[in-house]
Amino acid sequence: MAEAGRKRSAQRRGISSWLAQERVFRLIPFIMVEGLFLLLLATPFVLTVYISLLKWRANRPFEMAYFHGLGNYARVLSDTDFWWALGRTFYFAAVAVSLELLIGFFLAMLAYRQFRGRRFYITIFLIPMMVVPVVVGYNFSMIYVDSGPLNQILAPFLELFGFNPRIRWLSYPAAAQWAVILSDVWQWTSLTFLIFLSGFTALPQQLTNAARILGASRWQIFWRVHLPLLKPAIVIAVVIRSMEALKLFDQAVLLTFGGPGTATETIAFFLWRQVWQFNKYSFGAAASVVLLVLFSGLIFYGIHLLVRERAIVQEEQPL
Amino acid sequence: MMKRILLGIIALAVAAGLALPQAFGQTLPGATVEERAINGAKAYIKKHNLKNPTLTVLQNALFKNAQPKYDRQWTKLTGVKIKSIPYGYTDIPSKIMAEAVAKTGQWDVFNHFPYSIPDAWGAGVIQPLDAFAKKGKPDFSGIESGLRAQQWYQGKLTFFLLDGDHLALVIRKDIADLARKDYKAKFGKEPGCPETMSEWEQMAKYFHTKKGQTRWGKKFDKPLYGSLAYRSINFSYRHFPAYFGGLLFDKDMNPKINSARGIQAIKEFASIVKYMPPDVQGWGTPQIYPFWGSGQAFSVMSFPSIVGYGNKNPKSTIKGQQITCMVPGVKVGGKLVRRSPQAAGAGWAVSRYSKHPELAYYFLQWLTAPTKGDEIIADPKGFWDPMRASNMTNPAVVSKFSKQMIKTTLANAKVATSLLMIEGNYEYFNVLDKNLALVMQGNISAKEAAKRVEAGWNKVTEDIGRKNQIKAWRSGVNSGAYIDKF
Repeated sequence: MAEAGRKRSAQRRGISSWLAQERVFRLIPFIMVEGLFLLLLATPFVLTVYISLLKWRANRPFEMAYFHGLGNYARVLSDTDFWWALGRTFYFAAVAVSLELLIGFFLAMLAYRQFRGRRFYITIFLIPMMVVPVVVGYNFSMIYVDSGPLNQILAPFLELFGFNPRIRWLSYPAAAQWAVILSDVWQWTSLTFLIFLSGFTALPQQLTNAARILGASRWQIFWRVHLPLLKPAIVIAVVIRSMEALKLFDQAVLLTFGGPGTATETIAFFLWRQVWQFNKYSFGAAASVVLLVLFSGLIFYGIHLLVRERAIVQEEQPL
Repeated sequence: MMKRILLGIIALAVAAGLALPQAFGQTLPGATVEERAINGAKAYIKKHNLKNPTLTVLQNALFKNAQPKYDRQWTKLTGVKIKSIPYGYTDIPSKIMAEAVAKTGQWDVFNHFPYSIPDAWGAGVIQPLDAFAKKGKPDFSGIESGLRAQQWYQGKLTFFLLDGDHLALVIRKDIADLARKDYKAKFGKEPGCPETMSEWEQMAKYFHTKKGQTRWGKKFDKPLYGSLAYRSINFSYRHFPAYFGGLLFDKDMNPKINSARGIQAIKEFASIVKYMPPDVQGWGTPQIYPFWGSGQAFSVMSFPSIVGYGNKNPKSTIKGQQITCMVPGVKVGGKLVRRSPQAAGAGWAVSRYSKHPELAYYFLQWLTAPTKGDEIIADPKGFWDPMRASNMTNPAVVSKFSKQMIKTTLANAKVATSLLMIEGNYEYFNVLDKNLALVMQGNISAKEAAKRVEAGWNKVTEDIGRKNQIKAWRSGVNSGAYIDKF
């Protein structure tokens, strides 16, 4: 009994001293990071790729799935609905992100200077970002009803120009698309505002002062001094918001459920429908991989822009 | 040799003598369906020595206010607790399929519609109930064949139905009365229930009135829309079979929609939309019921419970002013064919991964039994619609729906037809819905839509496996769930 105890403690000492060796100790964080990577990222990804190579709808038990090669990929790439949904998503993202950048930039420009109540306004501008998307969807569905506040606000202006004051925001395809875009703009302008605000706040005051002493106008200061210095912030805002906007799902579901027809069916919604409504798990997996490849290209390009901007800024910074 | 034969005969007789009473003994004691269910549950609990037995129900949130009362009654009768977890009805099928994949055993009962069964059955998550039914002896008498057959899938009892959710047309009595003389002068007949879809559209056109117009001596402060019906994605497919008036596929699963009849059906389905509220393509029940109750439409094709809503909802302006009609028909080969699609139809199925499927079964048998079922259909908080002949004589049901409505609903039940009961049905539905939407929006013609639907349906059939689909389709048609035969 005592002998066994001694053996165990000697073994423990052996492991501890092995772990304490520097070459082993240095590897521990690396192994942990790699382990987490394998567990959290690689495993689901490999599983997705594996499922994408099978023929499996969930209306058959998984045991009946069989190897299908690249069949699912061929189906995804030849599915016109997939491309339409993707095109629609890019359209939504392009319009929504452009508006968010413009409005966020303008608001940040107004809010970065010191004035009375500045903190209050900044807090107000940041609130939408913190609202749960489901609540945003519900609120906007109320705002968009025919007799709702938006139409009532717009009515006097529209009537002035002889237009029908009752816009059917969620019933007409084009209006429904704008309804989804506007709710996204309302929620996520806060983020671009925050990014730009931090950019504006970090502008070196001495450069502005120097430009002013040299006789530059306000416009010239903005255009020649501020805007170039804000480029990294702009790139960050574009990259982050674009990546998010391409995943647009909540508003499309909550406001219109992809309708009328398929007018607001985004790629995320299309995928959800294929997997959760039609049970096409392997098709969904293949579509996810295709999207991952497509979006990865965009993400890498975004990262490349970021790195480049940072390098330029570092080069331009005075020693 | 003779001795052996004699011994064999004696052994057989003894075995038969032992087996026969046992076979009879399999039927549970109890004079009624309800009693047998209660006795079955008690015997099951005793046999398995269960302490605090609980059944977990994936509950359709539409019924979350009405259902708990009956759950409590069951607990009181048997000691079985019901843990009910409500979800929106659009979420339930994916929850069922998730259970098929995960096999957690967290659900005992699924509360949904018959058309969610094919995918769930294919995935192996639905418990066949025939063996339990042998003991419990449920009673499906007084239910018309089209509705009754929806409880079986591929020859197995899989579902208990308690909802005659087949479509009906409702028209406004007060408006029809106002226009009686003028309408008769114009069309040579009194305004009443239309026989055909085209007659319904003709009525819709006639009654469609703009805001501020004065007609039949009445000034309309709000517009009166000639018609109202479900025309959004996820709903159009529930109405379309009424316009098609027959089987959507032939016996080899070839779609029949790309035909003169199919194109005509699409045209009629889309054409009447111009007399509906402009927003209708985005509307579901939460919009259609209150709109109908507000009195701004002359007619509506809907689930029958809209009549109860019109009569009982405190905000309704049309109380006592509704005439329930049989669903209008279409002319097929010169003959009038009416088909009332079972657009939803609440009911229950048992999970194959339930720890106590038999116990769950008894709960369902009790809920849907003739007497208890009538009581539930009459529940003022519920959306269960009449479906049994006995509803006609049940005072509580009559009080909720009116005799005229029940009579018409039961007449509609004779032509009630199931939605597509084959695997992948949601995808077939979506192909149809998307193309109908494009026609209604004027983006494509009915002919083009028919072509696209045919191609889309064939694609789904091939993807799932034509052989498998043909088998399920033929079995469904032979069961009488679609009324029509090949």
